[in-house]
Amino acid sequence: MITVENITKNFGVVQALKGVSFEIKKGEIVGFLGRNGAGKTTLMRILTSYLPPSSGRAFIDGMDVAKKSMAVRRRIGYLPETPPLYSNMTARDYLMFAARLKDVPLKKIKPQVDKVLNECYLRNVADQPIATLSKGYQQRVGIAQAILNDPAILILDEPTNGLDPVQIQRVRELIRNLERERTIIISTHILSEIEQIAKRVLIIKDGAVIADNAIDELLIDDQGRPRSLEDVFLKLNEN
Amino acid sequence: MNKVLAIARKELATFFKSPMAYILLFLTISVFNIFFFIVIDSNQESTLKDIFKIMEFLFVFLIPMLTMKTFAEEKATGTMEFLMTTPTSNTAIVLGKYLGSIIFFTLIIMMTISYYVIIECFGTPDRAATLTGYFGVWLEGGLFIAIGLLISSLTRNQIIAAISTYVAIFLLYFSLSFIQYTQGTMEALVRHISTLSHMENFAVGLVTAADIVYYVSGIVFCLVLTRVSIENRLWR
Repeated sequence: MITVENITKNFGVVQALKGVSFEIKKGEIVGFLGRNGAGKTTLMRILTSYLPPSSGRAFIDGMDVAKKSMAVRRRIGYLPETPPLYSNMTARDYLMFAARLKDVPLKKIKPQVDKVLNECYLRNVADQPIATLSKGYQQRVGIAQAILNDPAILILDEPTNGLDPVQIQRVRELIRNLERERTIIISTHILSEIEQIAKRVLIIKDGAVIADNAIDELLIDDQGRPRSLEDVFLKLNEN
Repeated sequence: MNKVLAIARKELATFFKSPMAYILLFLTISVFNIFFFIVIDSNQESTLKDIFKIMEFLFVFLIPMLTMKTFAEEKATGTMEFLMTTPTSNTAIVLGKYLGSIIFFTLIIMMTISYYVIIECFGTPDRAATLTGYFGVWLEGGLFIAIGLLISSLTRNQIIAAISTYVAIFLLYFSLSFIQYTQGTMEALVRHISTLSHMENFAVGLVTAADIVYYVSGIVFCLVLTRVSIENRLWR
């Protein structure tokens, strides 16, 4: 479903990605794990065709992200790191606007917006300006926007960043409810989050993938003893 | 096309939800009214010729305020990333934003139609010249907006966008004042790029192909560059 072949990305002299390759199958839930500045966001931006790679190629459903970007964008729901919201619009108006840009058929826009408002527990704040909503609600509006056109692939960049524990729990539940039939990529530096949601982890460090394992594999060390993801992560990021 | 309209509608809706739209409307109309009174009172003529010149001059200051946030704000708040990861072409984004600003600008101009009604009541104005005058002001605003859009697409800072747009429009508008220091091809060039030399014809009822080509090509040129600018993320 998603194939990434030796992608590099340079910003001037800084090399943000240094030859990243991996493959993600349909229905997989993959966590991108890495410290701030490791290259997670850059990688996601390339997959969503927001940034072109400096070299290498990425395919979504066999389509080159750089060449068939419109078709790729139709298949992807994307929540950037800061939810991209228009603060003086209401959540409902914003979603109606997003639905039109995302090619939701005109007749389906209203029912679809109602559906995602329900799914993201936003019904009671739907008609308030987004600026007046708490961060947790704003994050959910961002997720609602991402799932609006029923995308086969969801890419969520730090969806629980800056939320309080209760809000984090809600957002996680929400993401788990979205699983059915979807391929999900989620980036975070919160380790417990990955353990709870993802089935597979890609650990990214300084623009390179340094580990790509099923989460169950990672949680057992060479001698067969259980270990925490935190230990794995800290060890891999030691130097 | 559907998406162009959706973006234009969103532009207008967000504009009217902020006080900016009302301040701009109020400010523009108040200033226009004062000048309308002064000009009519001193000229004692039933023509809008001089009013158009003043409108043109004032739009040099007003248009940057209208266009500064178009792209700069989207970039600053991260919504640009949203727009550009939806299946919406960059052309549609640029046209939608342009259309939104043009509609607002047209609204301002339409509010001055009362001036025409007033002079029609008290005199016999040249109808054709009034019509072409309005057309000229509208085209000129269209060009200024296209310039503002282009500059807004180059930065994420609204203040920088506004000031740079002032400078650009100012240079275009006042380049004719420097014509005495130029000669030959340079003189012809300055005369051609100055908006003043094109606007004058419209105000006296003269519509020439050269003037229309000047404005339309200027608008298309700026919009194409805007598209190039957002496509290549020149603000990064």
